[in-house]
Amino acid sequence: MTNPLAFAVRQAWVNLKSEVFVLPSRILVLAWVLALLVLPLVYPDPYVLRIIIFTCLYAILAASWDLLAGYAGQVNFGHALFFGAGAYTSALLSLKAGLPPWITVWIGAAVATAVGCAVGTLCLRLRGSYLSLATLAFPLIAIGLLFAFPGFSGGELGVSGLKSLAATRTGNYYIAVLSMFACVFGLWKLANSNFGLVLHAIRDDEVAARASGINTPRYKLAVFAISALVAGLAGALFAHFIRIAGPSTLETALSFQVVIWGIFGGVATIYGPVIAVFTLYPLTDWLGSFKALGELRLLIFAVVVLLVLLFMPRGLSPWVRDKIETLCPRCKQRNGRWKPVCRLCGAPLKAVLAARSR
Amino acid sequence: MLQDILVTGLVNGGVYALLAVGFSLIFGVARIVNIAHTAFYMLAAYCFYTLLVTFNLPVLFAAVVAVAAVTALSVVCYKLVIEPVREHESAVLIATIALALVFQELMLVAFGGNFLGIPSAVEGVATLLGVNIPYQRLLILVVAAAMLIGTWLVLYRTRLGLAIRATANDLEVASLMGMNVGRVAMATVAISVALASIAGVVVAPVFVVDPLMWLAPLVTMLAIVVLGGLGSLKGSLIGALIIGYVEAITVFALPAGAFLKGAVALSIMVAVLLIRPDGLFGVAFEEER
Amino acid sequence: MLRSILTICALALASTSAWGQGTVKIAVLGPMAFVQGENHWAGAEMARDEINKAGGITVGGRKMQIELIKADTNEIQSVPDASNATERVITRDKADFLIGGFRSEAVLAMQEVAMDNKKLFLGAGAADAKLGENVEKDYNRYKYWFRITPTKSPDLARTLFAVLGAVGAQIRTELKRETPKVAILAEKAVWTEALVGAAQKNLPVMKMEVVGTWQPSPVATDVTAELSAIKRAGADIVFTAVSGPVGIVLGRQMGELQLPAIAFGINVEGQKDGFWQATAGKGNYVATLDTLAEVEMTPKTVPFVKAFKERYKKAPTYNAVTYDAIMILKAAIEQTGTMDPDKLVPAIEKMEHVGVAGTDTWDKRHDLVWAVGKTSGIAVQWQDGRKVPFWPVQVKGMEPFKLPAR
Repeated sequence: MTNPLAFAVRQAWVNLKSEVFVLPSRILVLAWVLALLVLPLVYPDPYVLRIIIFTCLYAILAASWDLLAGYAGQVNFGHALFFGAGAYTSALLSLKAGLPPWITVWIGAAVATAVGCAVGTLCLRLRGSYLSLATLAFPLIAIGLLFAFPGFSGGELGVSGLKSLAATRTGNYYIAVLSMFACVFGLWKLANSNFGLVLHAIRDDEVAARASGINTPRYKLAVFAISALVAGLAGALFAHFIRIAGPSTLETALSFQVVIWGIFGGVATIYGPVIAVFTLYPLTDWLGSFKALGELRLLIFAVVVLLVLLFMPRGLSPWVRDKIETLCPRCKQRNGRWKPVCRLCGAPLKAVLAARSR
Repeated sequence: MLQDILVTGLVNGGVYALLAVGFSLIFGVARIVNIAHTAFYMLAAYCFYTLLVTFNLPVLFAAVVAVAAVTALSVVCYKLVIEPVREHESAVLIATIALALVFQELMLVAFGGNFLGIPSAVEGVATLLGVNIPYQRLLILVVAAAMLIGTWLVLYRTRLGLAIRATANDLEVASLMGMNVGRVAMATVAISVALASIAGVVVAPVFVVDPLMWLAPLVTMLAIVVLGGLGSLKGSLIGALIIGYVEAITVFALPAGAFLKGAVALSIMVAVLLIRPDGLFGVAFEEER
Repeated sequence: MLRSILTICALALASTSAWGQGTVKIAVLGPMAFVQGENHWAGAEMARDEINKAGGITVGGRKMQIELIKADTNEIQSVPDASNATERVITRDKADFLIGGFRSEAVLAMQEVAMDNKKLFLGAGAADAKLGENVEKDYNRYKYWFRITPTKSPDLARTLFAVLGAVGAQIRTELKRETPKVAILAEKAVWTEALVGAAQKNLPVMKMEVVGTWQPSPVATDVTAELSAIKRAGADIVFTAVSGPVGIVLGRQMGELQLPAIAFGINVEGQKDGFWQATAGKGNYVATLDTLAEVEMTPKTVPFVKAFKERYKKAPTYNAVTYDAIMILKAAIEQTGTMDPDKLVPAIEKMEHVGVAGTDTWDKRHDLVWAVGKTSGIAVQWQDGRKVPFWPVQVKGMEPFKLPAR
């Protein structure tokens, strides 16, 4: 009789060996996950933890943008609207109604979802650049409305004095990291499922998708809602971490930042924007701590983005991935680049073929 | 009050028209949403300031040099940054955003975050229909009108204009007909940024100059071109007048709500898009139909 | 992620500059690329050099030098950057005290970080009342916050009405008008709400007629529409409450349109030296509240302003009162003989400090106690390219207020 625990462990080990260790990219992801989980035990500098918390929350935001813009083709220039909606809702409820943050965060995400549905409905008939520029307008209109009711929204000062979710920095860190894992892996699974396939179809040719019987408005609304939900969650967590929800959560600059992360990291990948945030955000913060470079931080950031675009126009992660992995010519599955034969069908890989043909 | 609205709306609309027409031109021909358009406007304003105030050059000379310099810079930027990534639409988008940020930070480093004032080219106030308008604003109106007429002449009465319109209409066929599409795009960029620079030079004395001055006009300009229809010059002109008047009406009718003029303008844009998803006079491109 | 780990390791190695037991570390937090941050730093530098040259601060018998840490909060563009910078100076640079701050939304976030770490935070820029209200609501948490400048926004109103009374009286005598007409032009912001309400209520009581209220956006670049309407209403005074660039535009366009009214109120851009150039010389007669000028608010004011102008070649703004903040810290430390914040707080609460901006005492919200001539600030008017102080009239150095020719 096999011990059920031993069986489970062996099954996990087999899965690990056959699914994760075979591809360099998956090994990197595993290493990254482990590193994040272990960081507070190894190097508990509160400032570093703070930066990683911000990175995680922004990564959730960027990933949600990618689902909307990369997969469904709805390039949203006002993604900060959902972030701000989640932040403000959670803040106002927790301050005025006295509800605990654990509950208000979810309500904030729900309100952001509703906002996402509204925006989605308004944008159903819009295409391409019209969609992008219309979405740019929404956060600005929202800011105008917030300023028109300063007694309610706190005007330009925002809502301050919020409680944080956990009492310690490490507690908040794990909340942020685990939320990020849940959201990013969830989005990735969703994007790689049939739902994601339909989104691709809608992006590439909406008319053909409709002709095939797909109810495109419903899918578009769904993706707006899901993307807004995740972004709103990130916003609510952000507000409770920094303990203030202000109009800076709705700024155009933040929306542009999200677009840059998304495209820099590689659209339609989900993990691409996450990598972009983890690369760029700590880097710009690190630069900010140098006295001389501090004021040039944004300039260096913009120049880096430009240079990367010139050499890797599809984004950072597709470029990196192409360097460490290659497609098998026969079964079209990914393999580590240095492998001689495909792990699944046994066909010789390009590098070996090229060497043979010489 | 009616005269105030009429005159203020016209003058502000004229300013917006200068910016919107250039932006629309680039989009129509090269299919580039140039987020850095108003950043060039800002560069021209700073350049004009440096030449006029720091070096004390005569006004007309400084203006011409500023416009020429910024236009030349834009062509260089196009060649270095935009053209290599032309095929990837999304890359072009953030390339222009990054470019705008680079300009902003360079101006911040060079001039500091403070507000600068440029002396007006023409001093004095005129009275039109009982409303006081400074001569500088009338100058803006005159220059805007002249530039728009000039653009129309170039587009409809010259061979280059013909090439531009043909490329905007159908890129592939124009290329098959032997037009150097790359060069046409470059010429379009030059004309478009020249318009923005002229706007920067005439308008800057009326507003304040600071490194963040490109953001607010960007949003209004985007609202206008979307409202009028991307790629349509007539649409941009009419959109500019509409938004100019909407803002004037908001300020005069609701003095305590003057801060809302931006939000109102954007709401109008959204409303129009709901009724006509391609803007008022929008051009639907062949391959996107 | 590996990248981040490597970066962090490099950082850890590089940041061993946290040593220096023999110094008092004071972090100056502000938007260093802008005028406010520059003044924060300049005022702090002047204090540091003066104290260090005289030997330093005596902490329980030992003399320690002051070490300043410059922290660019970038608060004007990003609130998270500001709170990150605050945490960085506390945990990385091991700052003992924090001074500075400017944008109220950012300072609220920075206050949270400072209070988390129980560090004394002396504000030198944000006027929002909430910062003080926090102290009253939760004394044990927020007691480490003190506002050195400016007075909280409701008190700014009191100064404004005091000056308005004087200006109104001058209009009555010179223009022979019994009830001067006032147009309120306040930017749409939370800090102006109370001011606008108070103005609408008080002005009729002060025998002045309110002809209308206009509220442009703080970043409006064009107020000709508002000014045309104001001109049509025949206003004598334009009561301003503006902190953004709209203040410059207002001054310039009033000059261009040749409005017969004078602008007085709060005009933060009007406090800066660059105002005259920014309005292209058109901002004549614009008057505003201010903090520092070459007048004898206290015996220390004139020497400080003169020394500042000589060293930095421009006049100080109110943010330079970080000088006072450091002097207050010095006094408190030397009085209690320790750097422990819990002991310094009661010392500052009971202190009466003669600074360069006024004579400071604090109430239970750790806000400045308002009194004319002590902490009320001054009022200045731009006359032909010079910023001329004209109120309170009893202080030495004041010049008369001028009305435009009609």
